[in-house]
Amino acid sequence: MTTEPATMPERNLESADDIIIAEGVDKWFGDFQALDNVSMRIKEHEIVVVLGPSGSGKSTFIRCLNRLEEHDKGRIVIDGIEMNDDVRNLNAIRSEVGMVFQQFNLFPHLSVMNNITLGPRKVRRMPKLDADALAMQLLERVGIPEQAEKYPSQLSGGQQQRVAIARALAMQPKIMLFDEPTSALDPEMIKEVLDVMQELARSGMTMIVVTHEMGFAREVADRLMFFDEGALVEEGTPQHFFENPQEDRTKLFLSQIL
Amino acid sequence: MAEMPAPNPQRIVLPPHRERARRPRTVRLREWVRRNLFHSRSGSVLTIITAALLGLLVYGVVYFVFVDANWRVITDNRWLLFAGGYPMDQEWRLWFSVGFVFLLIGLAYGTWASLGRRDHLFIVLASGFVILLLAHGGAAIWSTLWYLIAVALLYAGYAITIRIPRDAGPARTAQQRVVAGLMIAALPIVLIALLAFGGARPRELDGFVLNLVLAPVGIAGGLVIAIPLALGRASRLKAISWTCTTYIEVVRGAPLLGWLFVALFILDDVIGGELIVRAMVVLAVFTAAYMAEYIRGALQALPFGQYEAAHAVGLNQVQTTQLIIMPQALRISIPPMVGQAISIWKDTTLVSVILPLRELKGNADSAIAQFEFTPDRIEAYVFVAVVFWVVAFIMSRISQRVEGSLGIGER
Ligand SMILES: Nc1ncnc2c1ncn2[C@@H]1O[C@H](COP(=O)(O)OP(=O)(O)O)[C@@H](O)[C@H]1O
Ligand SMILES: [Mg+2]
Repeated sequence: MTTEPATMPERNLESADDIIIAEGVDKWFGDFQALDNVSMRIKEHEIVVVLGPSGSGKSTFIRCLNRLEEHDKGRIVIDGIEMNDDVRNLNAIRSEVGMVFQQFNLFPHLSVMNNITLGPRKVRRMPKLDADALAMQLLERVGIPEQAEKYPSQLSGGQQQRVAIARALAMQPKIMLFDEPTSALDPEMIKEVLDVMQELARSGMTMIVVTHEMGFAREVADRLMFFDEGALVEEGTPQHFFENPQEDRTKLFLSQIL
Repeated sequence: MAEMPAPNPQRIVLPPHRERARRPRTVRLREWVRRNLFHSRSGSVLTIITAALLGLLVYGVVYFVFVDANWRVITDNRWLLFAGGYPMDQEWRLWFSVGFVFLLIGLAYGTWASLGRRDHLFIVLASGFVILLLAHGGAAIWSTLWYLIAVALLYAGYAITIRIPRDAGPARTAQQRVVAGLMIAALPIVLIALLAFGGARPRELDGFVLNLVLAPVGIAGGLVIAIPLALGRASRLKAISWTCTTYIEVVRGAPLLGWLFVALFILDDVIGGELIVRAMVVLAVFTAAYMAEYIRGALQALPFGQYEAAHAVGLNQVQTTQLIIMPQALRISIPPMVGQAISIWKDTTLVSVILPLRELKGNADSAIAQFEFTPDRIEAYVFVAVVFWVVAFIMSRISQRVEGSLGIGER
């Protein structure tokens, strides 16, 4: 029924390879430093939740991972491919990384179906019938197959975000980036999106999720990362974060948000 | 799959329902009159004065149209005004074009809109006007017949397409593609019908026919030039953006009148001797500068997230522009573009002011230059004005429909 293999991948993170490597990444906007020496390694199938106050560089960091922003210093390696100016590398990386935005960013002039099939058809040159079948599978997976022929403006926010997730999945990425996927949603729609993300996490997708949903962070994340003022201040398991945070800035942030 | 999220109650956001409960018509009318016309003493006085002035005006118009005016200046010069130098034995080519365009309008209305009571009324009134014109003075029964066939084609096209269900799906997509394709092909088809295979020579396009050819060529040509121009102006490559900016600013810096002088005196060496072709080029180049600016405005109005989402899906620059950005930008810029189209429609009269080309207004001048019709200049110009207004009105009605069915401003 879905694109997943019949058995879920064993989420044995110990033996998994590093699929994302960042080393000493800096990013400047003019003379404002948005990222300051960020280094991390993320394993395949790992679920990482990124926390931090507004303006701390969370979005900037994950946008560097698919070249929506260009980093100024340091190294980024995605699934063994070096992020540099080589167009072939960039195309290879982009096809491995899917992204879901806070504002959904669906294409308003295309039906739900065409929103999802556009990438596969135009980038992967998939025949229309195959692309349509894939789109229907994905819509079933995110729970809204009956909305296929609607336009984005006819859907609720939660449904739009689920379409956006399906659209990203249609490119069959290995990594999914989520930038505050529920922040623009009315409260009653947050759960339907988080449920889809949780199912995705269980299926073995590597995910980096910027969110303020602490429940999701606690239950789903393998690792939490706390950003402040462009720096990766602290990282650890949810248990570590919620029971025994080390840095003062982390404690202050958690005390404000919990 | 493991657990699925429980199916959510589907919340579909639809535009607010427009129908309201209605009271009987007479009650509504009385109520409306009281509220809007006689709600206070001073209001009542104003209403009466306005009504009196309006009555005088209507009386004046009716008296002029039905009693005072001598419409023979029009009916005797029918062919001169409408087709001028177009070879008379090729009249069928004109009617073929009219029929084809009417059919297309019908097909398009059935596909994307529907004909309401007001549209039918307009068609009936306009047809009455046309038939009066064609039949008055006893001449061409055939022309009247041709015209009626064209109207029948409009309704036939409408009847075919309105029946096809609007639910999205492959059939609907195919239908839209066919109709849209026909519309894009319409201008070349009409030009071929008028000119090719023993038709007229370009310089024989004359009278109202010339207006009807020049304006669409100017508008379509303008659009074709405007798209790359707008993209070019927004380009990051300085050489390209400066070139396009210069084009736009220079062209908009002088009035169309001035550019028609260029067509008259300078373009001969560049494009060649055919004056009509030169006029077409000037109209397209001129229109393009304005349209490019409207498209550029729309490009800037698009949320940046559209570019980012396209990038994230893996589309390259060209695909993003072609599939994501341009379709949306063109939709946003439809209202000002229609304004520009109507303006260029009226400006086609300028070609007979500057160039020795004869369009409707120019031929009206010729009509009243005949000795017996010199007293009838007012009739001639009123008629020309009404004809231009009718076409402009049709253009603006159609654009309202286009905007409505594309949901502009409802996003
Ligand atoms: N395109 C940009 N130009 C200039 N400054 C930017 C740009 N994008 C982000 N910034 C700045 O970089 C900082 C980090 O932004 P962001 O990564 O969006 O933070 P977060 O997602 O954690 O709220 C903010 O101070 C923001 O103002
Ligand atoms: Mg952010």
